[in-house]
Amino acid sequence: MKKRSPNQLKPFLAIAYYSLKAQLRNRATVFFGFVFPLMFIAIFGLFGSNSLNVSIGIPADQQNGPVYQALSGIKAVNIVSGSEDELDDKLTQGRLAGVLLSDKGVANPRLFISQANAQQAAAASSIVSGVVDKLNLRVANIQNPPIKLDIEEVSGRTFRFIDFFLPGMIGFALLSTAITSTAFGLIFLKKTLVLKRIFATPTKGLTILFGQGTARLVVVLAQTLVIVLVGILAYKFSLVHGALTLAEMLVLSVIGLISFLGFGLFIAGIAADENTAAPIANLVTLPQFLVAGTFFPIDALPSWVQPVVKLLPLSFFNTAMRKITVEGHFLDQMVWELVGLAVWAVIAYIVSSRTFRWE
Amino acid sequence: MSWLFQDSIIARLHLALVSLARYNGRFMENGKVVIKVENLAKTYEDTVAVDNISFEVGEGEIFGLLGPNGAGKTTTLEIIETLRQPSSGKIEVDGLDIVHHSWEIKSRIGVQLQEAGFYPDLTLVELLKMFGGLYQVRVNPIAVLRRFSLEEKKKSFWQKLSGGQKQRFSIATTLIHDPKIIFLDEPTTGLDPQARVNLWDEIRKMHKEGRTIVLTTHYMQEAEELCDRVAVMDQGKIIKIGTPHDLIEELLASGFKRDQEVKKATLEDVFLHLTGRHLREESPS
Repeated sequence: MKKRSPNQLKPFLAIAYYSLKAQLRNRATVFFGFVFPLMFIAIFGLFGSNSLNVSIGIPADQQNGPVYQALSGIKAVNIVSGSEDELDDKLTQGRLAGVLLSDKGVANPRLFISQANAQQAAAASSIVSGVVDKLNLRVANIQNPPIKLDIEEVSGRTFRFIDFFLPGMIGFALLSTAITSTAFGLIFLKKTLVLKRIFATPTKGLTILFGQGTARLVVVLAQTLVIVLVGILAYKFSLVHGALTLAEMLVLSVIGLISFLGFGLFIAGIAADENTAAPIANLVTLPQFLVAGTFFPIDALPSWVQPVVKLLPLSFFNTAMRKITVEGHFLDQMVWELVGLAVWAVIAYIVSSRTFRWE
Repeated sequence: MSWLFQDSIIARLHLALVSLARYNGRFMENGKVVIKVENLAKTYEDTVAVDNISFEVGEGEIFGLLGPNGAGKTTTLEIIETLRQPSSGKIEVDGLDIVHHSWEIKSRIGVQLQEAGFYPDLTLVELLKMFGGLYQVRVNPIAVLRRFSLEEKKKSFWQKLSGGQKQRFSIATTLIHDPKIIFLDEPTTGLDPQARVNLWDEIRKMHKEGRTIVLTTHYMQEAEELCDRVAVMDQGKIIKIGTPHDLIEELLASGFKRDQEVKKATLEDVFLHLTGRHLREESPS
């Protein structure tokens, strides 16, 4: 006898539509998918704009002379006033790059630096000594020094923090929605017997999964759009090829979601409750957030781990996304990354289809 | 010898009467059997959950499965509801074999599961519409909610309902596709007397509409109030089937006597008399 299987279109639409509604009302989904990525952009945006400045402390009564004037004319230098004691405290706390005193006369300035902030100290000493050298050359009236450095600017798009950070946050939101929200969402429905009640209706298991997946798809598209929109409005993020770039970003988000959903299903299938799911979900997502080029570039890692890290699913996604947004590439120019995502997807779906349990 | 002869005649007469009563109980309406369970067994690795049971439910009956926790009531119900596979045996619902026609059966029966939940972030109206989609029928959510005194909760989320309201809603979802056969698994467990009496009224109403109802319970008063016939289960076996009246008569005929004279009212009657039968403004549990 043949099992006549019922039409699944209406059940599919019902699950997709109402899962979407439920997800948009779920705080965890909204926080990880929308609020956190935007918050990270705002926070890292603050760091980003300050890191270029070198703060040099000069007591108010000593803010005169040619060295001071030359320093105050440099954009990257931020001059901080205050008493000698105050400035000294800030220096030892690493809050100043250096303190410049001309108490022995403007012709004999003294620069104090501290190892509390070694990088800033180095920046301060090279800036100040550069200024002093220039002044000396002028006083000595040397027009043609034997070594002369020419600095020429090559035209190009200014690479700003948002150009690196925005694609990373799309990856962060995507991984959170596809893995963490999916795993916890399905486990919750499983544990509270919502799925069992649905199984008492003429609805197939695959219909439930496809419906849920479709709802996640809509959420992920919305996440990418919102992050890009905020990036454009608040941080002047620019789309290299305009609408075409946005379309490519959306298509890549869909590919990424389909690939990462497999991991979410895998966790939902093997974990009996939220307590067993949490460590597994964290194990899959946290390392990728840290090393896969989400918050920091992969190039910043030791060179021996880079080849391994570059094979992580989120690395493939982030690299592909930056190729679209930063380099202006098209999807057919990132075959390696797409194949990488496809391989991970195949692995995840095969493993989860063998381990998935509905109860 | 003659006394022995007479005794056995009385015994035969009694048996005949009992089976006549059973016959009446079973074929209340027009004699059609809508659920037929033959030699059903369900075993998990090393435990036997249901041990070779057989029974029939007639059209329009309220049939109760009674028994202590772990007797196999829920497993039996879930197998008939096509949620679990039987290990062996033959089961027909509305003339259809459950193994081969599970999809058709799912759309013909209404199911309330023990402790089943619903999406916590959807309102009652949304949940009913969603189930309308799953059963592929059009629903009037407000009418369904009104019938179960939940109309003012139409915009509430499932998780904000009290225990009694959740149970009423769960039973309301069984009627979405207007099924002829309804399964209720411990519909009144954990409810206060008012909520329980209210649900009994709802179940009687569904019964009056001509629906067949199979329910499990471990409240004997509930079984006596509602059921046309009951099956008593223990350790996976059915140890007795009959009308509540017959089972009591049979026990009395065997010489059973209660320790105490039964009063004309119970403490539950006192409670309901004092506090009234109307449903309470329940606060979420």
